[in-house]
Amino acid sequence: MFTLMQFKWLLDYLGGATEAPPPLAPRLLNSGIFLGMWWALMIVLITIFSGQTSKFIYIDF
Amino acid sequence: MIFNTFAYFLFFLIPVAILFQVASYRTRLWILILAASGFFVYFSLTGIGGAAGAVCLGLFVWESLFSRLYRPKSIFCWIGVLQSVLILIVFKYWNYLTGLIFSFRDGKNPLLWHNAFLPLGVSFFTFEFIHYAVDRYRGVAPEGTLEEYLAFIMFFPTMVAGPIKRYQDFLPKLRGARADATSWSCGITRILAGLVKKFGIADLMTAFTVHLNRADIGQASRPILLLWLLAYGIKIYFDFSGYSDIAIGSARLLGVKVPENFNWPYLRSNISEFWRNWHISLSRWLTDYVFIPLGGSRVRPLLIYSNLLVTMFVSGVWHGAGTNFAVWGLWHGIMLSVHRFWRTYRGTGRSSTSARMLATATTFIFVNLGWAFFCMDLSTAGFFFKRLLVA
Repeated sequence: MFTLMQFKWLLDYLGGATEAPPPLAPRLLNSGIFLGMWWALMIVLITIFSGQTSKFIYIDF
Repeated sequence: MIFNTFAYFLFFLIPVAILFQVASYRTRLWILILAASGFFVYFSLTGIGGAAGAVCLGLFVWESLFSRLYRPKSIFCWIGVLQSVLILIVFKYWNYLTGLIFSFRDGKNPLLWHNAFLPLGVSFFTFEFIHYAVDRYRGVAPEGTLEEYLAFIMFFPTMVAGPIKRYQDFLPKLRGARADATSWSCGITRILAGLVKKFGIADLMTAFTVHLNRADIGQASRPILLLWLLAYGIKIYFDFSGYSDIAIGSARLLGVKVPENFNWPYLRSNISEFWRNWHISLSRWLTDYVFIPLGGSRVRPLLIYSNLLVTMFVSGVWHGAGTNFAVWGLWHGIMLSVHRFWRTYRGTGRSSTSARMLATATTFIFVNLGWAFFCMDLSTAGFFFKRLLVA
């Protein structure tokens, strides 16, 4: 069963915080094709939302 | 800005990451030092501090030279701590402190520093200076070479806003830095995820948080006030964890693993757990260099509460030169003390799932209420709570 902990692990993997996906996740997640698509999606999101020009809160505070 | 600019990636991260792959260890150190110098000067001139801020690059040179005097149990370590604290006080708190002193007289501040500026990352690099001086005094940090220490304090991915590193952890990682395919893949994913957090979530919250001012608060209903504050809680988490992701991802491109800063803090079931998972590198710094030297938990209960309050007061003041930040720190100090009292009184047995969910929700609510003191000045925060609770 895909538990809550595994879901957290999956999100950590998608965020680059862990090097491997959770054991019960589909094998596709480990492939280069998936990674490329995931990067492309994130780049699209960044492009859509960028330009709002707010600085990071923790710089020069 | 900085991490969300093309300049950072094109002029600094990518060239350095590529050069790092081919250079020898000694050359790598100088690549890091030169890149960090350029990074500090460029972002001082284009953003924070201006030309005067750029000149503060000299602080790193001075610190690295002075640090060569540090030996276990040496008085120079204490002088090092003192000068780091002084740097922080002068640049960050001078006008606030002198203003506070003279507010009791006629209100005019004759010591006002008109062209005051903040050197880039001063709050963070001074904490690394202090860590090194104290740990050299304790004999737990190696001396390393001058270049290695410079590369540590000027490691540009973490130079501006952390994560706050420890020399004894960092040095072996720097010496053994190897950026393989996994490291690059995780690094790039981490950087992209950080940018999505910043642009796609944190910045969107600005539409709500911009209303956290006296005029708008005066017009808003209670649910709206709560919504705006919740938006700030979401914004600050995704903003700073996004920033940390980019810093950690950047370091991974160089083959170096730096400490994590966040681990799902809003899903924690008590305030103590929250602080173990929110801005982790700062929490650990405060534990090691403030809480434990004060006596930590190995003193009478009343003193433990006092230590918690003092530590969180320091945390609050470090976050900003304003009374509201001190109150924010005390808010957390009180919560930590209440939690400690509760834990002593009730024990630490297993609790049911529903009890844990209730505890998580309660922690989340109180942490979010505390953000009011973080994002508004004291009088506006007071007005916010008055509108929220009374009218």
